[in-house]
Amino acid sequence: MNILIVDDSGVMRRIHKGILLEHGVAESDIIEAEDGKAALAVAREKTIGLFLVDWNMPNLNGIDFVRTLRAMDPYKTTPIVMITSEAAKYMVVEAIQAGVTNYVVKPIKGKALFEKIGKFLEGQG
Amino acid sequence: MQAKYINPFLKASMNLFKEYLGLRAEAGKPFLLANVQDLDAVSAIIGLAGDTKGAVVLSFSRETAIAIVSKMSGRELKVLGNEVMDGVGELVNIIAGNAKQDLLEFRIEISLPGVITGNASKIHWPEGIPVVAIPFTTELGPFTVNVSLKDIA
Repeated sequence: MNILIVDDSGVMRRIHKGILLEHGVAESDIIEAEDGKAALAVAREKTIGLFLVDWNMPNLNGIDFVRTLRAMDPYKTTPIVMITSEAAKYMVVEAIQAGVTNYVVKPIKGKALFEKIGKFLEGQG
Repeated sequence: MQAKYINPFLKASMNLFKEYLGLRAEAGKPFLLANVQDLDAVSAIIGLAGDTKGAVVLSFSRETAIAIVSKMSGRELKVLGNEVMDGVGELVNIIAGNAKQDLLEFRIEISLPGVITGNASKIHWPEGIPVVAIPFTTELGPFTVNVSLKDIA
């Protein structure tokens, strides 16, 4: 299953990728994109089974990326986990209304983050 | 600027450094920044807009910035390169985003982070709004969280 990490911070992408690798995800299954626009291009080219998406990004931000993705037939129910520093409740509500499956507020340590995303990997290979 | 607008940034900074980075970050007494150009060598900036306006600037020495991002990324970094700049930008992003949950009077949008080194005169502070500096000390070196936020009229 392909997992797409969407974050404009290369440091955060590497941290999230490291967490996935530590939990047995194959490196070949992990794809990175630096903003929503680049992520959309990847999503159109490949089949993605799980999205890990930041909110504040240039070009196309996370919330608009999610809205666009949910309008695409292959991704109407694909798990999308938003991992963002945006902690205000009204932002969480907005994200859920846009179609986010799970919302995680940074900073979050590796173990806690995997507890949030691990269920979406069960039974996948 | 009222203390209630500073406390969310203090709390978010403490949480980030203590709980996430595992660093004991001790806050000193906040003070009014007399010269807004008087910052350390590395400054990570987030603009605040929406119901209010302002900015948050996280400032470090070069050495402290390198050490803290090394701790954050789990890799020993040696120079003030793109990775360190990226990392300090993410740190201020987390502080500003987290602080919003306790600034309930405002609906705030945060900008993308920017990072500058050297001359702090490149920072565009909102005009006429004082800057409050919160000094912190950690085992990896000191840093300052500088907040400028317009009070509700």
